[in-house]
Amino acid sequence: MKKVDMSINLGGLQLKNPVMPASGTFDLYEDNNLPYDTKVLGAVMTKSIFLKKRLGNPLPLICESTSGLINALGTPGEGVEYLIKNKLPIFRKANRTVIVSIGGNGVKEYKLLAERLDKVEGIAALELDLSCSNNVDNIIIARDEFLTEQTVAQVKEVSTKPIIAKLSANVTDITKIARAAQKGGVDILSLINTVSAMAIDIKTKKPVLGNKVGGLSGPAIKPIALKMVWDVAHTVDLPIIGIGGISNSEDAIEFLLAGASAVEVGTAALINPLVMLEIIQGIEKYLGQQGYSSLEEIIGLA
Amino acid sequence: MKGAKLIQVYAKVLNQTEIITNHFILKIFSPEIVKKAIPGQFVMLSAWKQKDPLLRRPFTFNRLFPEEGSFEILYKKVGKGTEIMSYLKAGDQVSLLGPLGNGIKFPQNTKKIAIVCRGIGVAPMLAIIDKAKEKGIDIYAYLSAATKDLLLVKKEIKQKAKLLYITTDDASLGTSGKVTDFLEKTLKDTKIDAVYTCGSKRLKRHTERLKELYGFNAWVILEEHMACGFGACKGCACKAKKDNNHKGKYFLVCKDGPVFPIDEVEV
Repeated sequence: MKKVDMSINLGGLQLKNPVMPASGTFDLYEDNNLPYDTKVLGAVMTKSIFLKKRLGNPLPLICESTSGLINALGTPGEGVEYLIKNKLPIFRKANRTVIVSIGGNGVKEYKLLAERLDKVEGIAALELDLSCSNNVDNIIIARDEFLTEQTVAQVKEVSTKPIIAKLSANVTDITKIARAAQKGGVDILSLINTVSAMAIDIKTKKPVLGNKVGGLSGPAIKPIALKMVWDVAHTVDLPIIGIGGISNSEDAIEFLLAGASAVEVGTAALINPLVMLEIIQGIEKYLGQQGYSSLEEIIGLA
Repeated sequence: MKGAKLIQVYAKVLNQTEIITNHFILKIFSPEIVKKAIPGQFVMLSAWKQKDPLLRRPFTFNRLFPEEGSFEILYKKVGKGTEIMSYLKAGDQVSLLGPLGNGIKFPQNTKKIAIVCRGIGVAPMLAIIDKAKEKGIDIYAYLSAATKDLLLVKKEIKQKAKLLYITTDDASLGTSGKVTDFLEKTLKDTKIDAVYTCGSKRLKRHTERLKELYGFNAWVILEEHMACGFGACKGCACKAKKDNNHKGKYFLVCKDGPVFPIDEVEV
């Protein structure tokens, strides 16, 4: 079988293959003990970082539901300076392509973060986690067309890197938000973030999670995510990174056929750390068997 | 074991016993994992290929048998995952990821250790006891449970411990008091070098108080719901104590623990 070209260019972000971790479900430590070489991934992705340190939500932070995982972590983190000093060197060692996910309390913080990170070497792109609540307007940016456009535009003003806007599923019409991000000048869209969800303990008669409500990830949301990728791919002419319950290469191929040019893998890699490696191999094998010579040929075929 | 690569393997079940209603000991053959395992560490186990249940489940090593290449876990049937596990029999296959977390250590020149645990919190103790015996360390055991049947693996501990104290809430065996009162009695005339506790917030608090009074090393072994077990999901956070410069900080049970210096964490 001849070699398949797995590389892809996403609006200026060049990847050697289309598979990368989803923000918040992947981390690297000094004593990186993952059972595979992370250099094989298309990119590595940090957890969403804020300007300042955040403790996150009250415990408990996670619970399992049918074919899914509900989390209400509240984006804990040490702040951007810690990331630059302590985490980034480890990520850079792990893969040539490092994407930093950023979050903010309000549009202004995204801009400040993008400005700070633009001066830092070794970052390939920024992903804007737009699902954080906005202290100023008390609204989630990703649920508002105007704020989404504003945030992207402000970030683009100060950043020279490709910008990915990560969209929320918890909206009436995701294509409108996608268009707003495009108007703001975004380079790439990634979707979907977790789906609003909760669980109640019938013994205590109280919500299970400390934050009461959280976000659902895992196989349970895959068909929802796939449909949203399909919708956005048919509306907006921008490269899309598909996210949502991708657990194997078949799932990933579905997203590519729906119009995604790359995929992020989250919950599945918590259960099987080798899954991203298996997905890369699975896509390559599928393309070869189907007689394609490059990944690009199947994007949006469905 | 900092720096050691995680191992993900399929392993065969050697046998399973229901020791009392809903409490099981599962013995698994996995030389790769056992070779690297330290008491107090854990494995993430899956006995299902379908997506519900979805996540692996964390289990500490109840006993390690490095010569046989096998280990045991001790668990209570509480939900979907452990329900499926309860049907496992010899020859069945499970998927393992491990060994994970930081295991226990004995301080230098340790002569005597104590274990203080309640109910299913005895799960990591036999492995610790075996390791201590290997090093010629004396074991003082303090077991607590709601009722005598829930004093799990009591017989095995009795064989290995120099002294064994028992309390049960219903006084079905031993007295109904606090088992740490017996530990305090021991401490009055015996120097204990290290104490390991698991399975009860109350026993953890009392052990911590005794540590302040008598000045021994003490660790608590925590359990928590986990999605990954290797520090990626951040779901198994526990609160760091405000003193010790940990104000407003969470630890991860999987990565920073599950064995913690007793006065570093709040439970």
